[in-house]
Amino acid sequence: MAFSLRGVRVPPNSASVEEARRRTLDFFKSACRSIPAIMETYNLYDVVTPSQLRSTISSEIRKNAHITNPKVIDVLLFKGMEELGNIVEHAKQRHHVLGQYVLGRGGLVQDLGPKDEGISEFLKQFYASNYF
Amino acid sequence: AILRHIRIPVQTLGRSRPLPCLHPLPTSMIRSMSSHGDDHLTREEVVERVLDVVKSFPKVDPSKVNPDVHFQKDLGLDSLDTVEIVMALEEEFKLEIPDKEADKIDSCSLAIEYISNHPMAV
Repeated sequence: MAFSLRGVRVPPNSASVEEARRRTLDFFKSACRSIPAIMETYNLYDVVTPSQLRSTISSEIRKNAHITNPKVIDVLLFKGMEELGNIVEHAKQRHHVLGQYVLGRGGLVQDLGPKDEGISEFLKQFYASNYF
Repeated sequence: AILRHIRIPVQTLGRSRPLPCLHPLPTSMIRSMSSHGDDHLTREEVVERVLDVVKSFPKVDPSKVNPDVHFQKDLGLDSLDTVEIVMALEEEFKLEIPDKEADKIDSCSLAIEYISNHPMAV
């Protein structure tokens, strides 16, 4: 039901990396084709250009480019399709889209103020986890 | 420009009457009310717009772009970037390129070729 607009009829079960690659590129194309609708829905005309959105989508896909297991790629595609479906059917709100895709990681990063610059590597790892 | 198209249905009816309908006239090809794809693009205009689109791609070095450049071999892009450029061209020329054709577009020259031959390019 979530995929009624996105054109995925068969649940993905890629036999090989090549087929998974095909599916990824198809997903990217359908995402790009829905960019004008997204800009209309969330009124992003003054905020961002379609080419910036395309770059953001491609960098998100590229973050997982190193994966070789077709089943893992399928799961990632499923999540991507779900996300795209949510955005297109206006299940998200403008600040979600802006925070996650327009500003990206830079807009949400926690402030590494001057108090953190002088600490040692040991302390950084210590704050991060118990095991290192 | 619309008047040019209105004249067409009258002419083709005259030609097809003597033929006993061996193959149906592809009337879907003659969109008499559409003004899309009216002004046929000149080749220089197509070349210029395609190069602009490729140059404004953030990963591309504008000085290396010329009408013969290959996206993956000369500009060092990967397949995802190629698809992105094709989508940018789709947006620029208001086309919708089917998957089979889009796969073949690997270089600037092929892109220019395809767009110049496309009847609906604006």
